[in-house]
Amino acid sequence: MTAYLVRRIGQAVAVVIGVMILTFILIHMEPGSVARSILGVRATPGRIAIFNSTYGLNEPLYAQFVTYVKQVFHGNLGISYQLQQPVTSLIGQRLPRDAVLLGISTALALIIAIPMGMYQAVRRNRLGDHVFTSVSFTLYSMPDFFFALLLIAVFAVQLKILPPTVPPADSVGALLADPRALVLPVVTLSLVTVASFSRYMRSSAIDVLTQDFIRTARAKGMPERKILFRHVLRNSLLPVITLLGLSLPGIVAGAVIAEDVFNYPGMGLLFYQAATSHDFPILLGSTLVVGVATVIGNLLADIGYAVLDPRVRYGRP
Amino acid sequence: MVAREPGIGALAAPEPEGPAGAAELAMAPPAPSPLRRVLATFLENRVAVAGVGIVVLITLFCFAGPLIYRTNQVTVHLNLENLPPGGKYPLGTDGSGYDVLGRLMVGGQSSLELGFAVSIATTVIGTLYGAIAGLAGGFADAIMMRVVDTFLAVPGLVLLLILVNMFAPNLFMIIVLLSLLSWLGVARLVRGEVLTLRTREYVQAVKVMGGSRWRIVSRHLIPNAIGVIIVNATFTVADAILTMAALSFLGLGLPPPAANWGGMLSNGLNYLFDGYWWLVYPPAIILIITVVAFNLIGDAIRDSLDVRLQRL
Amino acid sequence: MRITRRLAAMAAPLTLVAVLAACGGSPAKPGGNNAAPKGHMVHGGTVNMGWSGASPNDIFPLPPVTNSDGYNANLTNPIWPTLVYEGDGAKSAVNPQESLFTSINYSNGDKTVTIALKPWNWSDGKPITSRDFTFVYNLLKANATDWLFYVKGLFPTDVSSVSTPDSHTVVLNLTHSYNPNFYTEDVLYNIPLLPQHAWDKTSAGGAVGNYDQTTAGAKAVWNFLQKQGADMSTFTTNPLWKVTDGPWKLAAFQNNADWEYVPNKNYSGPDKPIISRMNNLVYTSDTAELDALRAGGALQVGSLPLNDVKQIPVLQSQGYSTVNQAIPGVAMIIPNFYSPTVGPILSQLYVRQALEDLINRPQLVAKVFAGYADPGNGPVPLVAGGQWVSPLEKSGGPYPYSPSKAIALLKAHGWKVVPNGTSTCQRPGSGPAGCGAGITAGEPMNLTLAYSSGSTTFDQQEAAIQSSEAQAGVKINLKSEPFNTLVSTVGICNASSHPASTCSWQLVDFGYDPDNGLYPSGEGWFNTDGSSNQGGYQSAEMDSLINATEYGSSTQTFYTYEDYAARQLPWLWLPQQSNIVVYKSTLGGITPLNPFSGSLNPEVWYYTSS
Repeated sequence: MTAYLVRRIGQAVAVVIGVMILTFILIHMEPGSVARSILGVRATPGRIAIFNSTYGLNEPLYAQFVTYVKQVFHGNLGISYQLQQPVTSLIGQRLPRDAVLLGISTALALIIAIPMGMYQAVRRNRLGDHVFTSVSFTLYSMPDFFFALLLIAVFAVQLKILPPTVPPADSVGALLADPRALVLPVVTLSLVTVASFSRYMRSSAIDVLTQDFIRTARAKGMPERKILFRHVLRNSLLPVITLLGLSLPGIVAGAVIAEDVFNYPGMGLLFYQAATSHDFPILLGSTLVVGVATVIGNLLADIGYAVLDPRVRYGRP
Repeated sequence: MVAREPGIGALAAPEPEGPAGAAELAMAPPAPSPLRRVLATFLENRVAVAGVGIVVLITLFCFAGPLIYRTNQVTVHLNLENLPPGGKYPLGTDGSGYDVLGRLMVGGQSSLELGFAVSIATTVIGTLYGAIAGLAGGFADAIMMRVVDTFLAVPGLVLLLILVNMFAPNLFMIIVLLSLLSWLGVARLVRGEVLTLRTREYVQAVKVMGGSRWRIVSRHLIPNAIGVIIVNATFTVADAILTMAALSFLGLGLPPPAANWGGMLSNGLNYLFDGYWWLVYPPAIILIITVVAFNLIGDAIRDSLDVRLQRL
Repeated sequence: MRITRRLAAMAAPLTLVAVLAACGGSPAKPGGNNAAPKGHMVHGGTVNMGWSGASPNDIFPLPPVTNSDGYNANLTNPIWPTLVYEGDGAKSAVNPQESLFTSINYSNGDKTVTIALKPWNWSDGKPITSRDFTFVYNLLKANATDWLFYVKGLFPTDVSSVSTPDSHTVVLNLTHSYNPNFYTEDVLYNIPLLPQHAWDKTSAGGAVGNYDQTTAGAKAVWNFLQKQGADMSTFTTNPLWKVTDGPWKLAAFQNNADWEYVPNKNYSGPDKPIISRMNNLVYTSDTAELDALRAGGALQVGSLPLNDVKQIPVLQSQGYSTVNQAIPGVAMIIPNFYSPTVGPILSQLYVRQALEDLINRPQLVAKVFAGYADPGNGPVPLVAGGQWVSPLEKSGGPYPYSPSKAIALLKAHGWKVVPNGTSTCQRPGSGPAGCGAGITAGEPMNLTLAYSSGSTTFDQQEAAIQSSEAQAGVKINLKSEPFNTLVSTVGICNASSHPASTCSWQLVDFGYDPDNGLYPSGEGWFNTDGSSNQGGYQSAEMDSLINATEYGSSTQTFYTYEDYAARQLPWLWLPQQSNIVVYKSTLGGITPLNPFSGSLNPEVWYYTSS
């Protein structure tokens, strides 16, 4: 097991380095001048030259990359060109906001999806199963901006029972102080992911239901309810954990459309604005954070898999 | 793809390190006529059949429709902007004076072409890549998969934004870009399948008999993995259409006078409060129905492949 | 489209006319026209104003070249107003009440400027003196190239000497004699007064001295102040920023850039704030802001995107009023005269004339902007341009909509016109009937128009233009990109420099370019090497006409430049949309607005109760 872990961690590190190199190359491939994008329409060649030399943009690419990596090892992710703030503090402000929003959404999605998936597994191919499938697929198939705007139009503008945007908050505590404001964004984000979680849950519950030990338990006379909760639920949850691991990067990367619509500046909008304005430090810094989250998420997912399935642990065919 | 990781197609997503996990192992169908059995199970699922019916109807609507119902989707007529449904315009007109019903057809052509093209390209590239990686095994496999992991670890939106800015926005470029992002999932899936299948006796037998790698791939591995591939392909169509809608909303979609459902919807939403419902609900409904149909089809195929269900 | 609200920073106080009837309690302050709400004026209250896409990040009033964020001016101007305050009631004129001078006189052939400062005080009680002016002058002199608003050749390099005969008088000797309108309204307009007695230091713990009087010292002070100004976490706590001379001081600055004011109790001007708090709330998009307005409660003042004008009745039923504000600027499509592919085509005047003839501006105004737009007849906006609008522009400009004229023009120059197809050049050559120098036989009239995404009205406008140009076979390909991306790929292209990486664009529509000030000179737009002359238009005649408008103050001289520019089409003129301000009906003092208000005169706003 340790050998497996060590190998996976080694691979994870390699992937993170690969991500940094890839991002670095990609952002420098973007056409147009970084200086012009930040300095604006009236930038003169002189000012562009000053900008470029201040930020070392005239150096050859590999030299810039090395400088950047050295910086990162000192814990310094650079200063945003556009916002003139350290990237670490920007990410520090925005990441908790996404963690709260997407964390709550994911939790809510799970709370709905797990019982739903179980129910669908038990009553597969009957009316109940089909109804839930159709509803969850319809929700999944809605473009999220459409769903968000519709919810705002109905609940915030027409009925006026919920605020249409999330008020600014400096800390997580302040954010949670007005839970009404978080309802619409959380509902938007969670209902869309309920579908995929519940499909997974349904499939894995069916998987467990076909196992021999369930038949044995039934043959022994264990009540169905107990079978469901003691055996099926517990055993089918494990794959869901791997799914959670795969959701981790999403939580860190933010949801740009929900953030835009609900006035909730988070990592998604940070990315989007940085990408359109060639703000390299933010792009590199946030990609690094998301990249790390992705490999951690994958690692957790794989470890979860390895833990539950002994066949996986012991080498390849 | 942009905001939906993991999606419905993620069922088989966790990357198995060694032999595939429990789900994958059980999914390899028995060799004799899998197709017939799959088809039979599929046809029993009435919802799925409905899905196929819907896709067929909508495709006809989009491609054959304009031959019967001709409208001008190029010239802007500002004096006809935002007319409500009635008379000459069964679904009204939009902000540039285009007939909405006709635009749904033309927009559908773009959306469906995009979906199918991305799906095919993704499937072909991903399958080949995954099969080769799975077959090669060892160090080559590790490198190839780490490359996939690297691309997957860069947030899809960032990649898209950067790439979209680099090239002129036309349908072909967007198809290429979306394909570049989607093939990764397929590659992983196929590799997982291949890893499972290559332990099967008949593959070993072919090897012993001196069959070439290519023969193994094309004659044995791909046909047996086809189920998983098709499932993923259908989900890719759905995801591509949704991603295109998201891109249009962010302002990175196709320029006028090109139409696609996502663009129509995001433009129409600007008028939501003005009561121009014909700009919002028709594209929303047709988009959602199409995406749902593809998802249902994919889900049904996956269910039909699932041998365990046969045992219950 | 991102409207740089730099110019929207100037507030307009009300002209004190008659006092309206009161109903017991304090009389309602005069509100100008018909929009004054009924009821008595209430002292106090909080106003929340929505800003879509704003992101101020620097509080030092002289922004550095590396920070072109237009919203910084919106943050700093209410705290440290500029010397010349533009926008007076309903008039586009200099505002005498809120400006910091009592008089500006030009003498000695307009080469000497004598500025008399008002006897006002800083918030810490110290008087505002001419030393504060020389402090600014010294800082700018030593760091001109690092100042965002520096225009080569103008302030402070055009000042040969400064003297301060007494503590409230400044005398500038200029190197040239300038047109006083131009100099006051376009040049001195950008300059705030800064407290020398509190800011003339080179480190936080250091003492205040006269460092600005040496070049090295001025650079040190500048660097220190710039560094302090960029530190968002200390905007409200840094003692430097507590010394102010404007009606407001900063009470809070949130993480998401919301900026909140409370009144400066020691403001010396007559327009002291009546409300007790002014919160500027930032929204990620127009949609989010509109949703907040529609849902009611969160915002008292906001702006309405033009594609939502149908919302006006609904908003009115919810207790809001709306007012239309002309934006001082010009909307245009800029042709790139140095495009490697279509430069020769765009350089031909007849081509630009044909392109302009094909744009149906009145229809765009009526349909796309719902009537809320300046018709775009030339380089001077009709409403904001005030007295500077020439008769030619007033009558509709030299190029009314005429597709037949456009087709005739193209045909006369040897083009085969294919309506709804692509016209091609049949008679290359530079003769009077030929296509023009550098245009090859069979060359198609195929142009790419890049514009900034994110605005429904713009998408509609460009689609309409594309369709309209097609009538003469002019094929326009649209390319929409986010504003920042557009800025990065569209560089300044002129004779001296047109690198391929930033000059491959053909036509670009950034939205609009704001006027330089009350005096709408073409400086920077159409003169050779002008800082906003993206496409590289160059003409000796134009240069001399623009020059003439900067020296001497004849209206006729200005009209000559204006008509020449209107005819020459260095840019293709487009309608310039107005801003619709939405505000709670109980809030008085918001109207009358003028184009230079930017609805940023919260010091004269007040709640009423009935």
